Amino acid sequence: MSRLRSILFFILVFLLQLAISNYLNLGPWITISLIPFLIVQIPLQRSPHVVMLAAFGLGLLLDWLSAGVLGLNAFAAVMAAAPRRILYRLLINDEQDSTWIPLIRTAGIDKYLKYLLILTAIYLAAFILLDCMSVRPFWFILVKFVASTLVSTLLGLLLAFAFQRRS
Amino acid sequence: MNNRSGLLSTLSAILLFLVLAAFSIVLVVNNGAVQRFRLLGTARDLQAWGWTRTDNIRTFFHYRTENQRLVEENLQLQQQLARYQTADRLLDSVAVRVEPDFSYLSANIIKNTVDRQHNHLIIDRGRKDGIEPGLGVVTGRGVIGIVDAVGDHYAYVISILGAGQTVSAKLAESGAFGPMTWPGTRPDRMILREIPVHIQVNPGDTVVTSGYSIIYPPDIPLGSVVSTQVSQGASKELAIALFEDFRALHSVYVVRNNQQPEIEALYEQAP
Repeated sequence: MSRLRSILFFILVFLLQLAISNYLNLGPWITISLIPFLIVQIPLQRSPHVVMLAAFGLGLLLDWLSAGVLGLNAFAAVMAAAPRRILYRLLINDEQDSTWIPLIRTAGIDKYLKYLLILTAIYLAAFILLDCMSVRPFWFILVKFVASTLVSTLLGLLLAFAFQRRS
Repeated sequence: MNNRSGLLSTLSAILLFLVLAAFSIVLVVNNGAVQRFRLLGTARDLQAWGWTRTDNIRTFFHYRTENQRLVEENLQLQQQLARYQTADRLLDSVAVRVEPDFSYLSANIIKNTVDRQHNHLIIDRGRKDGIEPGLGVVTGRGVIGIVDAVGDHYAYVISILGAGQTVSAKLAESGAFGPMTWPGTRPDRMILREIPVHIQVNPGDTVVTSGYSIIYPPDIPLGSVVSTQVSQGASKELAIALFEDFRALHSVYVVRNNQQPEIEALYEQAP
């Protein structure tokens, strides 16, 4: 799979996230985030420092371009980027993937899904807790977290299939 | 040697994580709306230009609904004007000159969010139109928010649909008042709190602005009571269905309290 294609896909997914944040109104119960999927798409050989800085930059850019609360997505992205390597080793640890990005084909859909689900859950837990900080009831936060995690993971998985289909 | 470099790498990664997380939290706490407008004014203007284009397309498909809303609002304004003209004639007869308490400026919304915990709007009026931070934003069917940051041609408005935002409201019939806040679940519902338990409240009762605020004029209709419940045995909490549909909002009025400087000067003099 060419590097150029991966970079273009990365930019395209970020633009999709921007469109979702700016124009798709799903109400206060669901927050769709593709940033965890983009964190998964950062090549595996990159050091944790690079991954955290890239995630922070992505989050900050999204905060700014969607006119949200500055720092909210940046914080959540750093939280998800930090344990990425540990999670990969624990859940997938596929030698074939170690030079580029995790592939459903080699890692298996169950392992890939678990990996994406956990990163998305970490991201959204950080995002929703900071956003709703002490002003919303626990049940609201829980329902929003579960619904947002499921929808975001499913969308990420569909994008992964679309990206890896022809590779 | 390898162990040492591995340890250093891990420690520096942890340090970087802590620095980035702390920096993000500082940004969130400061909220950044004002800074963004001041520091990134030109870039924000470009962004606002893009939002204006997309909003024009959206508006095109909402003309019929918007027209209907404006016709109703016009009717209400004409009725109000008739009342004021009568009052004006009476005032003229006793030679008293009255300055209006509030002045209004119309604005179009070019961006509006309703699905976040801290919602906002961007309007196409800015510093060059006389807009300043702290001014209220209303429509004929409700209160919308407060201007927070101002660019040359655009202003950033904090929506009342946000954590920590409060509107002073009262029941039109009894006059009982309290703070109205957004529970964060639906953009068409708010909660009016601290209504004394002895006050009789029925579903359908109208809620209006109290006027106990220097930002919003009194008696702007806000919504109607849907249900009531007693909170901790001390007061009533009323669920309010808002009249204004925030999801279909296109035009608003920025409202300036002409007496605000005098009232603020009084606050400063108070011990």
